[in-house]
Amino acid sequence: MSATATEPILQVRNLSTCFKTDLGVVTAVDDVSFDLHAGETLGIVGESGCGKTVTSKSIMRLLPSHLSFQKPESQVLFGGQNLCTASEEEMRRVRGDKIAMIFQEPMTSLNPVFKIGWQLDEALRYHTDLDRAGRRARAVEMLRLVEMPEPERRVDEYPHQLSGGMRQRVMIAMALCCEPDILIADEPTTALDVTIQAQILDLMNGLKEKLDTAIVLITHDLGVVAQVCDRVMVMYAGRVIESAGVHEVFHSPRHPYTQALLESIPKSGAREHGKRLPTIPGIVPSLTELPHGCRFQDRCAYKEERCVESEPALETSGGRSHRCHFPLGGER
Amino acid sequence: MWTYVARKLLYNIPVYLGIILFLMLALRVNDPAYAFLGKNAKPEDLLAIRAQLGLDQPFFMQYLEVLSFDFSIESWANKGLKVSDMLRASIVPSLSITLPALFLTSIISVSIAIISAYFRGRGVDRSLMVLAVVGMSVSFLVYIIFGQYWGAYLLTREGGIDAFAIGGFEPGLTHWRYYCLLPVLISVIVSMGYDTRFYRSVMVEESSRDYITTAVAKGAGKRKVMFVHMLKNAMIPIITRIMTTLPFLIMGSLLLEVYFNIPGMGRVLYKAIQEQDFPVIQSFVVIFAAFFILSNILTDVLYALVDPRVRLS
Amino acid sequence: MSEEIGPLQKFLRGRGMRKLRRDRMALAALSVIGLYLLIALSVMAGVLDNADVFDRVGPDNVAGFWGTQDGERRLDHHQLRIERVERAAKTTDPTKSLAEFRLGGLRASAGTPEEVLGRVEEAWRALDAVAAYDELDVSPEVGPLFEELDAKVAALYEEPAGFAGFVQSLRMSLGTDRQGRSILFRALYSTKVAVQIGVVASLISVLLGTLLGAAAGYFGGWVDHAVVWLYSTFSSIPWIVLLMVLAAMFRGGALDGTLIPVYAAFCMSFWISPCRVVRGEVMKLKELEYVQAASAIGFGRVRILLKHVVPNTAHLMFINFSLLFIGAIKAEVILSFLGLGVKNEPSWGVMINQAKAEVLNGFFWQIGTATALMVVLVLAFNILSDALQDAFDPKHV
Repeated sequence: MSATATEPILQVRNLSTCFKTDLGVVTAVDDVSFDLHAGETLGIVGESGCGKTVTSKSIMRLLPSHLSFQKPESQVLFGGQNLCTASEEEMRRVRGDKIAMIFQEPMTSLNPVFKIGWQLDEALRYHTDLDRAGRRARAVEMLRLVEMPEPERRVDEYPHQLSGGMRQRVMIAMALCCEPDILIADEPTTALDVTIQAQILDLMNGLKEKLDTAIVLITHDLGVVAQVCDRVMVMYAGRVIESAGVHEVFHSPRHPYTQALLESIPKSGAREHGKRLPTIPGIVPSLTELPHGCRFQDRCAYKEERCVESEPALETSGGRSHRCHFPLGGER
Repeated sequence: MWTYVARKLLYNIPVYLGIILFLMLALRVNDPAYAFLGKNAKPEDLLAIRAQLGLDQPFFMQYLEVLSFDFSIESWANKGLKVSDMLRASIVPSLSITLPALFLTSIISVSIAIISAYFRGRGVDRSLMVLAVVGMSVSFLVYIIFGQYWGAYLLTREGGIDAFAIGGFEPGLTHWRYYCLLPVLISVIVSMGYDTRFYRSVMVEESSRDYITTAVAKGAGKRKVMFVHMLKNAMIPIITRIMTTLPFLIMGSLLLEVYFNIPGMGRVLYKAIQEQDFPVIQSFVVIFAAFFILSNILTDVLYALVDPRVRLS
Repeated sequence: MSEEIGPLQKFLRGRGMRKLRRDRMALAALSVIGLYLLIALSVMAGVLDNADVFDRVGPDNVAGFWGTQDGERRLDHHQLRIERVERAAKTTDPTKSLAEFRLGGLRASAGTPEEVLGRVEEAWRALDAVAAYDELDVSPEVGPLFEELDAKVAALYEEPAGFAGFVQSLRMSLGTDRQGRSILFRALYSTKVAVQIGVVASLISVLLGTLLGAAAGYFGGWVDHAVVWLYSTFSSIPWIVLLMVLAAMFRGGALDGTLIPVYAAFCMSFWISPCRVVRGEVMKLKELEYVQAASAIGFGRVRILLKHVVPNTAHLMFINFSLLFIGAIKAEVILSFLGLGVKNEPSWGVMINQAKAEVLNGFFWQIGTATALMVVLVLAFNILSDALQDAFDPKHV
């Protein structure tokens, strides 16, 4: 783990993103705040639809502007700017160069009609002054860095000629070729099989050390979180409900949801044999029909009257936060 | 890729055979000899005309003959004129309308679609799409009638500018504008509504794909994204569509040929049907079908060339 | 176990229908279509009588309710009006003829045949007075002479009052065609023809195409190959060529002159589009789990096809019906042009074709009316099919 600097390189404050839908305006990300330090890996965890992807896309302003907007109090402070109010020109300079992103589906995230080399070249063209030969050399170098076999050959191939794992490596190469300060990885290994997953995660860890990039890793897989993250932020129905260091989250979760997530990880071993796989009963509430009070109440084993009356506020103490009226205390 | 092309070619053969079979049967439901000579024809004439075309032979023989593309047979309505001559004479006028129409329609529609997709949701886009829908709702014939009235008739009579002929045809590039430009423009206007909407929706759909998000995440500007990333992908279905509109342009130019008195293949066929000129009908219909099949195959080949996923398999 | 609701109810309560109901443009389009349907049904019920549609109601190419016509034409119109009354007054039984005389909703004015003929003479003189001038629209002296003529001709007729008067003004409101028939009423009658053709042709094509497509997609194997070969074949013949071949086939036969060849032509080319679409959809549905589950439970294949698969293509049937309806109406116009369409009744195609020559004389009432009525209906269907596709098939292109 790299040493964390004292100043965070990214500060997200009160980020709220809304969507205009047939059924009205829906708030997909509700008042999310967090810090990111250089060289740190932050994991954002939650079920599908909890808002993790929307959060990351809001930071990069990748959401369609005619369908979504940020609430005015939202702030994404980076490099002395508030990215929420920056101009499109300024955003273009940040994207790919200072903050890069990789996505879940390597099959569809690459443009099928352009060669790999061209796609890598593109990012370099936008953000560097290298000439053509220089860019090609850099592209090959990046592919080597992501442990792509035969990089000189791959550069002239099309995406459909590569396997899923190789495509994701290309995505990582594209994202890192301009040495960004932050890499946002949205479920980078979900679409890959387990062995490739391990390789990709190792790769990301290695690159992080080499290039000192901060990583925001979005995932629903706590196993991945345990492997690579320094800090964890748990989201539920658009809200941050817990945020702490990785050890704290795993050994002493404060929010019942976090605990339930941990318990639902399938475990092996003689003791576990024959036991039922624990699940969290119920489903995530629809964002258009949120319950009054705590959003997790209908699935919580510790629900009380107060949980229905009012939604808990995010309480921060000692470097960790939780959003619960009755936080769990002590060791697991 | 060549296996792909070969497969397409082979597949189309039974289709072509089927078309010819159906057409030949359909055309023989009413005895062609009777149809041409009328009910009071003399038996000798009937026999003679049947023998001339081999209509007295068993069907299978006739089928083979038609497949052999022998156009040296003579027209019934125009004594002494061979079908091959008629074909040769009518190809140029037809192409003078069809090809420029295809070219212009594609360029104009794709351009308008790009504009619409670029300004998606805004005023420009909305108005263009409204125009497209209304344009699609007017009959071809109405466009022809008004086109001829304003373009040829009024312009000449009131405006004194004899830019477009009311009808007729003369070969040669110098005459093209006078005889063909107006029908071509009409053809363009008729297809614009459909084409623009289709191309726009292809572009809109491509614009929502994952790789577009990746491109934006890399720092690409809107123009780059649209004109480089999106367009190259959108061109695959668009080019395919352009090729498949070719057959419809043939139909359209048939109407235009009849209306503007242009002696193209469509008009020849039309007249032949009115005159019940069987050899011409059968031959031209077979040619049209062959042309269709060829354009289908061409479309498939073009598709293979343009999409690297197919080209490299 | 929840009660089993039939596929129709599921469809009506589903997300697609809800989305559709919220779409204001779609609802507007549906009301317009409903209006046209109402008109068509009223015509079928006999609201218009044959005289209004097939007989002369006035002089040729009378203009509609606005604008004036040029002097030459006005003169011709008056001439016809005078001639008509004169003819009635000179028959072997003039009193009877005059009593029975009708020109549209107008009757001959009261009086003995001698009185009527006297007025006719006056009218002729007034006409000659105007006809003496060459530049009818320009010379200032013509004005009062024309007014005199108008009055003399009016004296030959008796305008109907009350409701009949209202009908008469309606009759003439959009002018008359080259044979003096009411454009408005013919256009309204054509609505019935259009709806008839559209509904029959589209319905048959959609049903045929859906069944074949579903069978092809579901059963696969030789059924699929046969259907695909069939539609590849038919779609390779340009629709117009197919039509002309059919025209050659039917000519002189028993069915010539009816709408049967028209329907045959449509159905033969229109079944292909729904067939393709449904086949593709069924092929996708076949792989869905609930179909495989039904199969695993042991339901027969035909039962699965009819009860589970086809209802899920219902939205496609509606969309295709809508699109084909448009195709049928527009195609009818072209058919009329080629001499292969509706023969014994007015239709928009017939009207537009007749209007060709009128346009060259600057008379736009017939083509304008027929086109306007047609455009509104087709536009409504276009909007409806867009809305249907947005609601049920959001990934459509």
